[in-house]
Amino acid sequence: MITDEAERIAALGPSPRRPARDAVNPAMINNWTEALGDGNSAYPELAPPAMVQVWTMRGLHPAAEEHDPLAAMSAVLDEAGYTSVVATNCEQTYHRYLRPGEHVSVSSVLDAVVGPKRTALGEGWFVTTRSTWFVGDEPVAEMLFRILKFKPGNKSTASALQPTVSRDTEFFWQGTKLGELRVQRCSACGVVRHPPGPMCPRCNALDPGYVVATGLGEVFSYVVHHHPPVPGRELPYVVALVELSEGVRMLGELVGVPPDEVRVGLPVRVGFRPVGEFVLPVWEAR
Amino acid sequence: MTVLPELRVEVTPTFIVSTALATRDFQDVHHDRDRAIARGSKDIFLNILTTTGLVQRFVTDWAGPGALVRGVSIRLGVPCYAYDTLVFSGRAVSTSDGVTTVEVVGRNSMGDHVTGTVRVVLP
Amino acid sequence: MKGAAIAGIGATEFSKDSGRSELRLAAEAALSALADAGLKPSDVDGMVSFTMDTNSEIALARELGVPELSFFSRVNYGGGAACATVQHAAMAVATGAAEVVLCYRAFNERSGHRFGRVSTAAALTVENSWSYPMGLGTPAGTVAMVARRYMHEYGATSEDFGRVAVTMRAHAATNPRAWFHGRPITLAEHQNSRWITEPLHLLDCCQESDGAVALVVTSTSRARDLPRPPVLVRAAAQGSGPDQYVMASYYREDLAALPEMNLVGRQLWRQSGLEPSDVDVAVLYDHFTPYVLIQLEELGFCGRGEARHFLAEQGIGLDGRLPVNPHGGQLGEAYIHGMNGIAEAVRQVRGDSVNQVNGVRHVLVTAGTGVPTSGLVLGV
Repeated sequence: MITDEAERIAALGPSPRRPARDAVNPAMINNWTEALGDGNSAYPELAPPAMVQVWTMRGLHPAAEEHDPLAAMSAVLDEAGYTSVVATNCEQTYHRYLRPGEHVSVSSVLDAVVGPKRTALGEGWFVTTRSTWFVGDEPVAEMLFRILKFKPGNKSTASALQPTVSRDTEFFWQGTKLGELRVQRCSACGVVRHPPGPMCPRCNALDPGYVVATGLGEVFSYVVHHHPPVPGRELPYVVALVELSEGVRMLGELVGVPPDEVRVGLPVRVGFRPVGEFVLPVWEAR
Repeated sequence: MTVLPELRVEVTPTFIVSTALATRDFQDVHHDRDRAIARGSKDIFLNILTTTGLVQRFVTDWAGPGALVRGVSIRLGVPCYAYDTLVFSGRAVSTSDGVTTVEVVGRNSMGDHVTGTVRVVLP
Repeated sequence: MKGAAIAGIGATEFSKDSGRSELRLAAEAALSALADAGLKPSDVDGMVSFTMDTNSEIALARELGVPELSFFSRVNYGGGAACATVQHAAMAVATGAAEVVLCYRAFNERSGHRFGRVSTAAALTVENSWSYPMGLGTPAGTVAMVARRYMHEYGATSEDFGRVAVTMRAHAATNPRAWFHGRPITLAEHQNSRWITEPLHLLDCCQESDGAVALVVTSTSRARDLPRPPVLVRAAAQGSGPDQYVMASYYREDLAALPEMNLVGRQLWRQSGLEPSDVDVAVLYDHFTPYVLIQLEELGFCGRGEARHFLAEQGIGLDGRLPVNPHGGQLGEAYIHGMNGIAEAVRQVRGDSVNQVNGVRHVLVTAGTGVPTSGLVLGV
């Protein structure tokens, strides 16, 4: 089905050339160099070559595009449940630099659709398109662009289990919302501790503070969960018990690493994943 | 083999938003933090056209205005969220037929944001 | 614990769908245990169950027609409560708080609320918020985390875990009460069974069961006047270790260990004056195979990390150095939260088990692992 549709779309060949809204112009070049901090004095007499795609961007209110092979293939994959997208490769070749006043148009063709592949993000298909920019009939630049359309690993964050928060633990969950991994630290004796609690088990002080952890650690142990189904998660997935460099251990899902490549001792760093109203810490390989 | 001078980019929200608009990329994940988080991201993040442009800038900062960039090929890794720092490093690894190949890596706190090569004719 | 004895045992059939209420299961098992002890409901004046049991003491008393209760108690922490019900009953008997105490556990754990599923309700505690939302929300998952570390530290393999499952199923195969009666497995079948949570295969996990078990505890002197030979409570103990959690004690230094079981063991040896070599049969809690290995180590049957050699070289079969779970355990007979294991220990001491070991004088019994737990030494 997906392969059939891919062949059909590929067989349509290059899309009709779609003209840029504006001719190459110094105002947009200057906006670009200003934003990117590019002080190259060759601009704006010449356009930065990496701007080639900018000229034909479809803008704030894009019209429906019936001839765009990437849009067509994305719709097919959306329909099949591969609703998430991430770009993986972009290879641009510039035959020459553009000058203000030149008017480019672009044409794209579906090059390849490969899948289904099991990736770190979930099962997905790699979709590759090739685009060519023209001035008149002269090709001035080309681009290979590859995306991964995938079924998100976190199927429904709405139904996923969310933490229960107490007065003793709310600092932790406030931290994750800010992208901080907070580890409880006794303000009296300085001992760090996870999971947190109201009283320091070493000195019995009732003065818990926290430190923002580096988020760096190593896998101390891990499991690969296959069964039974877990709300909000696609199987299988990896949960790792990580020993942080601060000296405490913490559980979290290990994302982006195929299960058979996980091992005790794997260096990881923290990432953050929103689930409902909360943000959970997750581990990523580093 | 020449090592290029490092380029550090402080990826502020302003940087992400202004570059997204300068590249005419109006997707909400590049300017609306609430929407970005709702879509599963930690924050707004850099768009691809900007990453491509920064890779090119990193090389032309070193090569000078007389250089001719022939191609930029990049592989995208971890996202680059607001408040991160993106550090580019690179080295010119070979020259053939007058075209020099520069290997570039852009790293942030999460890992490799971009790896790739730039083909450039040096002046 | 001198002075208390188990005078009677009773149980329902073990099934996947009892077709009746949990209260009825409790009442049937209790009545059966009283009959075994030669006692009447009116003799009962104490009851102990698990915090998790849905049948209150007063509900069971109403059904049985027990007129008065002078002692009633619950023990927390899932299967860790099993042996502690007997301990609490024995303490009540020793102090005179009660004379005849019923210990019971009844549930439709397979046809009703299944423990093997992810419990959304259980996730709603602050303590479980460090594990459930992170994707670790099943008993198998929590044990797998310890098992992986155990394998890493000591070189144990899935096959070592599999030897436990194969032995339990061999025992169950000749036990007509067992769900897996007549259905032994091979190590290859264990290895080929599907993953539940790596490194645990399906056959590393005990079954889920409907059923009930009840025990009657009374004073040794009264038990001597009853028809069955008294089975003495030679030792009884509870244990909770440092930085203890329920199934997820992941934050203390040694992950591949059960310090709470070590504490139970130390008390049992001290109270009974026995040592591991005196144990004729061990009934070890076997909801998941890896914890059988760690228990052998914590209880002193072998050194730390050496259980895999103990299994392979000494053996835990009926003819092994230490016969473990002659009834087939929870992997083979039924999962009644450890209470069916106490009943088997009683039969072994009485000498009337279907898989009877010769010359049994002392039986060690343990309760749930990974949780605050308990243990018993029963004997003649």
